[in-house]
Amino acid sequence: MGHTAIAEIQFSDYIYPAFDQIVNEAAKIRYRSGGQFNVGGLTIRTPSMAVGHGGLYHSQSPEGFFLAASGLKVVIPRSPIQAKGLLLASIRDPNPVIFMEPKILYRSSVEQVPVSDYTLPLSKIETLIPGSDLTLLSYGTPLYTCETALSLLSSPPPELDNEKMIPKGVRSAKVELIDLRTILPWDMEGVIESVNRTGRLVIVHEAGKMGGVGAEIAAEVQKRCFLRLEAPVKRVCGWDTPVGLQYEKFYIPDAVRVVDALVETLKF
Amino acid sequence: MQTIPLKCVKRSIASGCVWRASIARYTASKGLKTSAIALGTAPKHPTVDHGYLPNSPSPITTNLEFFDAVSDKTIPAYRVLDGNGEVLDGATVPEIDEALARKIYETMCMLPTLDNVLYNVQRQGKISFYHGEEAAIIGSAAGLENTDEVLGQYREMGVLLWRGFPLQSVMGQCLGNEEDSGTKGRQMPVHFGSPAHHFHTISSPLATQIPQAAGVGYALKRDPARRGKNCAVVYFGDGAASEGDFHAGMLLGSVLESPTIFFCRNNGFAISTPAAEQYAGDGIASRGAGYGVKTIRVDGNDALAVLAVMREARKYALAESKPVLIEATTYRVGHHSTSDDSFAYRPRSEVENWKKTDNPIWRMRRFLEGRKWWDEAAEQEMKERMKKAVMSEFRRAEGLKRHPLGELFTDVYAGEVPWNLKEQREELAGLLKKYGDVWEPWRKERERFKGNGSDLQ
Repeated sequence: MGHTAIAEIQFSDYIYPAFDQIVNEAAKIRYRSGGQFNVGGLTIRTPSMAVGHGGLYHSQSPEGFFLAASGLKVVIPRSPIQAKGLLLASIRDPNPVIFMEPKILYRSSVEQVPVSDYTLPLSKIETLIPGSDLTLLSYGTPLYTCETALSLLSSPPPELDNEKMIPKGVRSAKVELIDLRTILPWDMEGVIESVNRTGRLVIVHEAGKMGGVGAEIAAEVQKRCFLRLEAPVKRVCGWDTPVGLQYEKFYIPDAVRVVDALVETLKF
Repeated sequence: MQTIPLKCVKRSIASGCVWRASIARYTASKGLKTSAIALGTAPKHPTVDHGYLPNSPSPITTNLEFFDAVSDKTIPAYRVLDGNGEVLDGATVPEIDEALARKIYETMCMLPTLDNVLYNVQRQGKISFYHGEEAAIIGSAAGLENTDEVLGQYREMGVLLWRGFPLQSVMGQCLGNEEDSGTKGRQMPVHFGSPAHHFHTISSPLATQIPQAAGVGYALKRDPARRGKNCAVVYFGDGAASEGDFHAGMLLGSVLESPTIFFCRNNGFAISTPAAEQYAGDGIASRGAGYGVKTIRVDGNDALAVLAVMREARKYALAESKPVLIEATTYRVGHHSTSDDSFAYRPRSEVENWKKTDNPIWRMRRFLEGRKWWDEAAEQEMKERMKKAVMSEFRRAEGLKRHPLGELFTDVYAGEVPWNLKEQREELAGLLKKYGDVWEPWRKERERFKGNGSDLQ
């Protein structure tokens, strides 16, 4: 009808009543109508990921459910500057976009955001830290955990400063930290280019391992980078259980789990 | 925003119709006339007899007229006590003796006692939620058998209290400690559940319990041991009634003929959405007829009225094996939860006014005092006793540990545990063994669990 709807689902945990409209309708209108009808710039903003006290229904990362709905785009920003640019790009993109905003970052991630109009490209990764020995890939909140893990790796605190946990041989590894930003369609070329250089990949996300974004990326990487890989692709994810309130600190991948995965992959 | 004619708001509050007040404020804010609350027009039956449509009970009419209500008047609200706890002229007091009246009143009072403690504790970063609507919850619980199956939304702790759910269990769930058998520390506060009390475990998503309740009623009907003896009762709010699941549940219950009572607590707000922005029709009660379901609207702040209505609804549901829809109108005096500041979207004076003119606890107390079943001394004694019980139970519960850490992985499936869960449990066990004693965040966190996480190894 020529208008752009920008909807908000208060918590992504509650997006499922809209699943039919999103997957059967929004994602397929263009295809089923021979390109004659479409939902245009439909953008659905929704807070996601853990917040520390959300339990089963205020902590979910449902991006994986939408991977199978071609026609949709899924975008996840890591910070205010990213959020503005990616959101404007999402709204102006002629396809329906689900824009998941990691809710814990609303207050904890602070940046000076330009007041001018600007967009950031969809389906393009961003390299936060260039590297050559291992590609560390994530999106949303866990990126900050990854940064902490990298500093644990390069200068471990006394309690981790031993050969069993963080061997000296891997501490100077140059890890390339990548923000995936667009989950669907994901920047396959950008990721493959990085892994072909580094030969190692660790993927981190809060969503469970089974059927998650990491599974899709790992499958593609093993196919395209098979001969370049020095180690199996490692996924550090939430467990395949709902997010239990009191157990959250052992559910969400934290810095020590990530650094353990880095060491395992570097030593392989 | 023009000022609301005071006469209109006063009349709105006095009539106990929460949506009238919110409509008055809403239409005033839009600069519209506040004089008439829009009433519908009911279908008119043909004056000339043209017979019926083939195979249909619909009489044929030659009048082209639209309708938007099933009655020309707003659905009336049943009431027994006025704002001061006096029995209305013509009202029938439901059968009630001193013991029952006191139990109802005391249980109503336990809700704010718990709320105050739990609310303040949340502000210190511990736990959450506000209950209120005491008459609707306790009055309805008192009209049921303790074995009737109850499915709630999240403001129905009162039903559990009525059924003897111990304070220890309330604290256990709210604090997520080792005594939380209801959710093993997995859920946010007030997400209670107890098969022993026939109270199905709460989940955060709205309205999902409604179609489930239609099914529960159907199952009860099919069970020779419980048919005609137990019904299902589902509680939900005015916001939840806008969900698709409300429609699914009402359809299912009506078509399957489930002995399920659908109890809507219309408290005027869905977090910040006022009733006037939630629906354009006559509340939730107007929907029942659309499903062919017997419906009644009741003053949800009148405990005796709610008690009477629930008893009648239950009798009907069990005798006819059919659903009933009850809309209990009340007012959400507190914030939606401790994550909400409702003064961001409603004036403080509106809340204070409501507390003064339509207080469910006050009205019930005045009724008891009228019967000489209560006095100030009893009030003081009860308040002290309750506060003491709640505080002492809270302090004891605070000191307890959480469930063993291994419970993170249990109860996902019944029967055999799939390989991914087995391996993930082992993975965490390995990590804990490696880092759990030296990595401070884990070292500290694991101590909060019974067994310090050693059960994983």
